[in-house]
Amino acid sequence: MASSAELPADRRLRASERVRLAIEILSAYRQARAALRETSIGPAVQALRTGNQTPASEPTTSLTEPAGERAKGTPQANPTTLLDDTRSPGERLSEAWRLGRAVQLTLRLAPGDTRCLTRSLVLTQLLARRSIPAKLVIGARPAPSFLAHAWVECDGHPVLPTGESSFGRLVEL
Amino acid sequence: MTPDTTVRENAGDLDSLLSRNVRVPRNVVYRTFPSETVVLNLETGKYHGLNATAGRMLEELERAACVQDAAAALAETYGQPLDVLERDLCELCQSLLARGLIEVDSGELG
Repeated sequence: MASSAELPADRRLRASERVRLAIEILSAYRQARAALRETSIGPAVQALRTGNQTPASEPTTSLTEPAGERAKGTPQANPTTLLDDTRSPGERLSEAWRLGRAVQLTLRLAPGDTRCLTRSLVLTQLLARRSIPAKLVIGARPAPSFLAHAWVECDGHPVLPTGESSFGRLVEL
Repeated sequence: MTPDTTVRENAGDLDSLLSRNVRVPRNVVYRTFPSETVVLNLETGKYHGLNATAGRMLEELERAACVQDAAAALAETYGQPLDVLERDLCELCQSLLARGLIEVDSGELG
């Protein structure tokens, strides 16, 4: 596991990139809600991960990609393949964390059910489209009052909030 | 072995369950906490709570070859009569079956 000092420096997204990412998140949100309406949690995760549903837009460019790379004309058609070959685990984790934050910020403004499971499904799809391995974790806490929570982990590190209390893991998808 | 759906239909017959093997389906996960066992049915998205005793029973049901064996093990653990444990286990099985939290194999064990 790379320390934070080894992670690539943040690069602020341009306005156009932020808009594209927000559109991608909202598209994934729509698909996640549809998937949950049509099927159960397990198949929904699988469908979003494998992209059985047609995305409304291509994945936005990597959040941690050096700006110069795109300026040189890095192919955009299949960025995930490129990422597979060039990214360190630390860089992927860094990108996953920032995508998680983008999902939280974007869905805060979205109507409907944007609770933890939906957020986790959305982030699962975003990460899958970038070939970043991730697990959707569902946990529960029976006392003092029952509470369940879902979040996403990359390489064992949470990239969405794990909740205030200590949730016992029920399943990893 | 395939799940025997007739068991569900005839669940009123407690004795028919005793020789059956119980298993937790792939779409059901559970975790035992000190106070209770939380069961999640991924198919329905519903959470279920079992008290500590029922949670222990579920673990034993999953471990044992049949309900009767589970009852015997629990009777020894809790120092209760076997017939009481058999009845309690069968009632629990009925309840879990109705919620899709367990599957019961056909009577042909082995």
